[in-house]
Amino acid sequence: MVGPSIRIKPAGESSKASTVDGGETSHRLIGFLLSQPQSTMNRLYQKPSSCLSIFRLLQPLERQVVMNLLWLETPIPGATMAAWVTREGKRPYQEALSTLQSLHILPQQSTRPGPPQSVKHNLNPTFKASLRQAITGGGTSGSFGILAENDDKHPAPDIEALDAFALERWETILYYMVSSGTGQFPAKPSQGVLYLLQRSGLMATVHGATLQITSAGFQFLLHPPHEQLWELLLQYLQMAEERQMDLVEVLSFLLMLSTTELGKVGIHTIQFIAQVTQALPHAQSYSTENLSATQKAMLEDLRDYGLIRQRTATSRKFSPTRLATTLTSSSPPLPTSAGTGDGSHVQGFIVLETNYRLYAYTDNPLQIAVLNLFVTLKYRFPNLVVGQITRDSVKKALANGITADQIISYLITHAHPQMRKNKPLLPVTVQDQIRLWELERNRVKSQEGYLYTAFASHADYEWVLDYAKKLGVVLWENPSKRCFFGSVEGHMNIRGYIERRSAGNA
Amino acid sequence: MDKPSHLSVIVDLSPTQWAFCAQSTAPPGLPLQTFLSQLLAFLNAHIACKDENTLAVFGAFPGQSVMLYSSTGEAMTSTTEATDPNTYRPFKTLDSTVMSSIAERFNSYDVTEEEEPIGLVGCLTKALCYINRTISVVSASAQGTEGATRSIDPRILVLSVSPDQSSTYIPIMNSIFSAQKLKVTIDVCKVFGADNVFLQQAAHLTGGAYVQIERTDALLQYMMMSFLPPPAIRQLISVPTQDRVDFRAACFCHKRIVEIGFVCSVCLSIFCQPVPVCSTCRTKFPIKTLQRLNASRPLATTPSTPGTPRPLTQKNGAALPRPG
Amino acid sequence: MKAIRGVLLTCDSAVKQILLTMNEKGSFIIEDLDDNHLVIKADEEYRVRRELEAELEKNTYSLE
Repeated sequence: MVGPSIRIKPAGESSKASTVDGGETSHRLIGFLLSQPQSTMNRLYQKPSSCLSIFRLLQPLERQVVMNLLWLETPIPGATMAAWVTREGKRPYQEALSTLQSLHILPQQSTRPGPPQSVKHNLNPTFKASLRQAITGGGTSGSFGILAENDDKHPAPDIEALDAFALERWETILYYMVSSGTGQFPAKPSQGVLYLLQRSGLMATVHGATLQITSAGFQFLLHPPHEQLWELLLQYLQMAEERQMDLVEVLSFLLMLSTTELGKVGIHTIQFIAQVTQALPHAQSYSTENLSATQKAMLEDLRDYGLIRQRTATSRKFSPTRLATTLTSSSPPLPTSAGTGDGSHVQGFIVLETNYRLYAYTDNPLQIAVLNLFVTLKYRFPNLVVGQITRDSVKKALANGITADQIISYLITHAHPQMRKNKPLLPVTVQDQIRLWELERNRVKSQEGYLYTAFASHADYEWVLDYAKKLGVVLWENPSKRCFFGSVEGHMNIRGYIERRSAGNA
Repeated sequence: MDKPSHLSVIVDLSPTQWAFCAQSTAPPGLPLQTFLSQLLAFLNAHIACKDENTLAVFGAFPGQSVMLYSSTGEAMTSTTEATDPNTYRPFKTLDSTVMSSIAERFNSYDVTEEEEPIGLVGCLTKALCYINRTISVVSASAQGTEGATRSIDPRILVLSVSPDQSSTYIPIMNSIFSAQKLKVTIDVCKVFGADNVFLQQAAHLTGGAYVQIERTDALLQYMMMSFLPPPAIRQLISVPTQDRVDFRAACFCHKRIVEIGFVCSVCLSIFCQPVPVCSTCRTKFPIKTLQRLNASRPLATTPSTPGTPRPLTQKNGAALPRPG
Repeated sequence: MKAIRGVLLTCDSAVKQILLTMNEKGSFIIEDLDDNHLVIKADEEYRVRRELEAELEKNTYSLE
């Protein structure tokens, strides 16, 4: 018998060739980081915790490429790396390399001409050193947060209290948004939050004083919490520079928070939360001592968003909540929706029937208010709301800028476990009808512009039409009638062109 | 695509074999200490990839199989945890738990006693049971993404230094079949020593990677490139598989690894010599067949056995592995 | 050659017929291009859309 020898599977031999990570969209934060200059990124990469968090936000293939390169001391020839890539992996692999280059994790390739074989891959030395340190531990960066010493007088809050705090803060923001302009006046979030909402275009002032939710805001309400959180934080990052805050410090603090811990054990699935909370009732608090001035200033904002909790505004300790610790993971950022508290809400609470009737097992004012955006609510019981999806209710939602797809995806994500037995999950009639109602709104499309007609000759017509086509402004044309319709943007150019031509002819 | 994956690592911790490994000069040896530090870096890398990734570590000690660590917290032994702001806490917990439980076992060994065979099979079955439970927990709470019935990609990685024990053929084959059924990939990393026939088959039959480490100083790089990528990524970046697999089986009667064996036509049990009655299903074979088979046997009957063949002392169970 | 400022409406032929009928009451159409396209006066767009909406609403059956 002959001993086996290792070989690399030739391209195209892989067993299943179906799922290739093409269409997956990268994380919102990565999109933001792509636009940052190299100097910013290099400063960010000095912290092991930032490197670890950014690494986690990468796509799976990009992570593998980083890991392959992480432990190499010398650059590796591109051809050697590419030999491991299967045929269907070629395109995703190239995309992964270019994303990593844009993030300055891989240095930009010099543009000097040469055969592609001569390309050598090596990680950005700063990133490499920090990520290695993050994985092997050690160093003196202190970037994973310094735990506060236990204080018997003011023990750290337990996890339940933290969850309740995060939920209360977060729902205050959302509930304020959803009930603006309805005549109710719920608890107002802090001034900082209001400013953020306004800056991000989710709310806008109308008639001078009152803040009113915008159509972007309505869409925002239907997003999953994780996305909502990042949407606000990205806006916060964009504001950071205006407020003369150091972007790198702001980012690295957020990323540090994402590596902090709620309890002492990593919590992976909901099943284990119960065990953990029983065993370790107290959450972790971290010390504010090592934070920079900028980061200390951030504490207040983060407290308003519910990411961290401090006992008093001047406390030297803070406890990150679940909103913060799940920033770079996909675990649910909010424990359960308030109300019954038995955890059933995480599973979803909406039952939708083929007769458009909707039962929502909830008494959470936020959820009810969100449903009210596109459902005509009829009855309300202590733990149940009954409503009907009608043409009017959907039309109202559409008028607010919510799309049919958003309504449908909200219904799907919050569907009751009982509904999950159905295939397809939502009644097809209702889905189709919601889409039809959306189409109905768009029976007429209007575009402003100019109708060019009464050309002297066909040659003239062709001449002008060709020019307009080059500009890409032709919306409609008819050669037999010898006229065409051009958009407003192109009019000045076309007019100038005709004038120049007739001047030349004269 | 970007879904969490589960990794169960089985570490072969036979003191004798590691002593051989550390002293070896060709190929250059690897002390256990260095190996463990590289292993921890690899385990941390797995956790680093995704917050929801889960990990379990099993140690195969002489005559024992022990769960050293699990990210769900069943095997928490270390409580003396220093606060270290320089290290990500899950890494710290993982490292200290694994190291302290290994040290604990090693200290309790009596050096003078003869070493029992390592509990590799025990580890395999424990890992499979653990994975089975994790899968059922996840599918019971099937929530969130629609239609995602299997939200974890379970894998087992065996880091082996000990040679084959031919007596474990049947249980290993049975573990392989369970792994296939659970859709668990078994990867094998042979850190030291000759090729391991059974583990080779395990990797082959479950679509895993089998790597014989040629340069021990590059162990970490081997592990990162071959064993870190979850199955989904392996479609894009390939991992080393075997060119030739040693499909030899061990006979049921003497536990020898055989090249030519005799198979019961009813239950497919394997024997190294013609038998009048199948020891598994008790089928009686006609005497004529027996004679014909005996006549056709090759003359050289010394079987090649890496382990010591033991005489049959008990009847085999009803286990029916199908060779290859 | 001449250029006329206006709004190009792209619609289905049923809507176009309604628009043609509406045009008989108060003229707003500049040019009837083809089955799916019309050019109307730019300042009349808002009024036309509102009236069309009301007209279409009459053809909708509602449970309530």
